[in-house]
Amino acid sequence: MHLKLQLIDYSIIIIYFMFVVGIGIMLKRRIKTSNDFLMSNKNIPLWITSLAFISANLGAQEVLGMAASGAKYGLYTAHYYWLGAVLAMVFLGVFMMPFYYGSKARSVPEYLKLRFDEKTRTFNALTFACMTVFSSGVSLYALALLMETILGWDFSLSIWLAAGIVLVYIFLGGLTSAVYNEVLQFFLIVLGIAPLVYLGFIQVGGIEGIMHNVDNAKLHLWKGMGSATTNPMGVDAFSMVFGLGFVLAFGYWCTDFLVVQRAMISHNLNAARRTPIIAAFPKIFMPLIVILPGILLLALQKQSPGFKLPNQADGQPNYNMTLPLLLSNLYPSGILGVGVTALIASFMSGMAGNVTAFNTVWTFDIYQAHIRKNASEKHYLFVGKATTFVGILLSIATAYVARGFNSIMDLLQLVFGFVNAPLFATFFLGMFWKKTTSNGAFWGLIAGTGAAALTHGLTVAEGKGGWIANVHTYSSGTSHAFNIAAIAFVFCFIFTVMISLVTQPKPEEELKGLVYSLTPREKDMAKVWYKNPLWLGIILLVITLIFNIILY
Amino acid sequence: MKSILDLRFVIGSFFGIIGGMLMVYGLSSGEMAAKTINSWCGGGFFIFGTLMILLSIKRQQKENVSD
Repeated sequence: MHLKLQLIDYSIIIIYFMFVVGIGIMLKRRIKTSNDFLMSNKNIPLWITSLAFISANLGAQEVLGMAASGAKYGLYTAHYYWLGAVLAMVFLGVFMMPFYYGSKARSVPEYLKLRFDEKTRTFNALTFACMTVFSSGVSLYALALLMETILGWDFSLSIWLAAGIVLVYIFLGGLTSAVYNEVLQFFLIVLGIAPLVYLGFIQVGGIEGIMHNVDNAKLHLWKGMGSATTNPMGVDAFSMVFGLGFVLAFGYWCTDFLVVQRAMISHNLNAARRTPIIAAFPKIFMPLIVILPGILLLALQKQSPGFKLPNQADGQPNYNMTLPLLLSNLYPSGILGVGVTALIASFMSGMAGNVTAFNTVWTFDIYQAHIRKNASEKHYLFVGKATTFVGILLSIATAYVARGFNSIMDLLQLVFGFVNAPLFATFFLGMFWKKTTSNGAFWGLIAGTGAAALTHGLTVAEGKGGWIANVHTYSSGTSHAFNIAAIAFVFCFIFTVMISLVTQPKPEEELKGLVYSLTPREKDMAKVWYKNPLWLGIILLVITLIFNIILY
Repeated sequence: MKSILDLRFVIGSFFGIIGGMLMVYGLSSGEMAAKTINSWCGGGFFIFGTLMILLSIKRQQKENVSD
């Protein structure tokens, strides 16, 4: 499948590149210290941090992957938003942000250092740094592969061009530049894909057309969730609620520095708390932009053979081509350029988010903590910039490795998944139970990671896993992932509690501002409801509940 | 110069330019579908861009008064 771009389409792509680089150039003279470069000097307005918060997650996986999932699983995919994001974002804003922001930590690993000890911080910092470089490289690889497939662009050209542009704008303007570009990318993705949804919606004949042409089993959120075998996703309600809605969602939205960093650069605590909550409002409606296209494709396939997805090597439909297929069929030249630019923006946004999180964690949590403790501001600014350069080079190398050795990439992704799965248990206990000890946290994390690996080795889904023995087969890869995460969380939680009970906790004096019960409650001074994180959170939860009831 | 540093101004300029280009391209296009889609989308982007620029200017004026 090839999209034929005209001069107008290329012009739009070039103008976009000029703007993203221009933002970096414009912000260059604001960068004087490492704090400006890596932390935006904690001076970013609320509307920007909120949109950057949601946009840091609006990478290729979200835009292409959710459309693909929409076509494969239908409306069930919306659980990634209404169950797997909103609740966790509200929890982060209402309960966790006061500790991240109030502790004056510059990163999530640094919070772990303050709450626990250096070894827990270093473990988290190292795994996070590796994971961000890996994710950035995978994003770059996916971009180049897509451009090669749909536009016929040279693989290497796409990699070096996209990486070069991201490098220039981060190198010049640091985190502020990445955040500004993320907001531009947010608008571009939403406005570039919204007309596609509208055109598809009109072509299928509106809601009636969808109901008539799409299998009814794919048009529900909860129906058939009593068992993993009675819904297209192959996941039962417990795995969905506990695995996705609790462990994975809270683990990602509340502890992943890539997104939490966007809230930590707010200008005050109230803005930091409201950042994830304000971001959750557009997040609720994102399924209209990223999942609905997949469902529309299902309806369009019934009406026209031109909407048939190309097959993969194994003969299965290549669902990742859902969005490019719709672009090619519904967009004429002109708006097609905007659509393709939106896709490119989503990849670059994902990559830039990872690189900025990587350079902060490397500079503050690894270099400053272990290599050179008391250097000048100028020196750390240099290290931050050099780390950006190295991070981009490592991403490029990862992209080439991904092309040649897909199995290594799958393995790495799996290992990072094991490390991430138990993380929320450590943070949850650390913030809400003052007796959690440093050794408990560290060994709990190790136990949770080990439990995740062991579960994967003993269970199978879609031909994957079971490298030790097969004691259980899950009905889908999604269910497998949710259950591994749930087991890792439970193991981490139990081990952390058990070890904490037999080891010495930190003195309470040292835990003030880091643990809920030892931190004086700051009365929320917001006089109006829309400045109060709790009220905003309640409104979000009510809207989410209504969506779940309507689309049951 | 200060308003150029405002993100609203940047976003507004981007969508203003893209919107303008799409409108001109759409209106000059021979094919009916391309004409309709590009001119409507272009118009929408242009209005969005203009609103963002106006917001940026308004904000700038407010800041100048408070200075």
